[in-house]
Amino acid sequence: MPIRIRLDAMLMQRRMSLVELADRTGVSAANLAVLKQGEARALRFSTLSALCRELGCEPGDLLVYEPGPETVIEDDL
Amino acid sequence: MRALGPGSVSSFLKFVLDVAYLALLVGLVGVILLALAALLFSVNPSLLDNVRIEPAGQFPERAPVVIAGLLAAGGYMAGVLVIIGALRRIFVTLTAGDPFRPDNVGRLRLIGLMLAALELGRYVLWAISAWLPWVRDVEPNFSLTAWFSVLVVFVLAEVFREGARLRREAELTI
Repeated sequence: MPIRIRLDAMLMQRRMSLVELADRTGVSAANLAVLKQGEARALRFSTLSALCRELGCEPGDLLVYEPGPETVIEDDL
Repeated sequence: MRALGPGSVSSFLKFVLDVAYLALLVGLVGVILLALAALLFSVNPSLLDNVRIEPAGQFPERAPVVIAGLLAAGGYMAGVLVIIGALRRIFVTLTAGDPFRPDNVGRLRLIGLMLAALELGRYVLWAISAWLPWVRDVEPNFSLTAWFSVLVVFVLAEVFREGARLRREAELTI
């Protein structure tokens, strides 16, 4: 996915753990890990809003576009 | 009306499927036992000395046909059993609230294939029975409804495939 979430860098700058961010935003740690690893397909405005609120940043600080191939969800069958 | 749980349409359908599955299972075992008995009697006709079968004395000559008929009936019941078994497994995922799973696509395709196989089997039986001199009143008829059902099931399988893909995508929406 060419869109990447700079969650690692933002957490490091704020000396905050993923679990703490999960607690503060109400998004599960597992889902935040999916976001961090770049495996998410889409991001809800509500999630983005909660992340910006707790990290004290703008959406543009979190999202980065890196040209690359699109991830396609493969059919299991 | 409730979609899931006690008193819902799905719980009623699940009950019907369970009853049909058990009845077919018992029927299949019965047919297999009858076929085995017919095979035994055809090998050793003296076992039939104390058994009265009408028309008298014709059983040993017709035994292969009787056995083939019983095996065909058993095959048909086994096919329907596979269909109902797949439907029951689909219902398990439905009652768990997660029907759009990739497994169900395969199950629906299996149901479609079995329906087609059963219909083709019927044609094969008609073709064979046409060769037997003592079988009368067998008129082959092409059932458009059966083939339409096969089509519907394959269309539903594709709908489920897309549903499974959308479900996977929703899982990755944070």
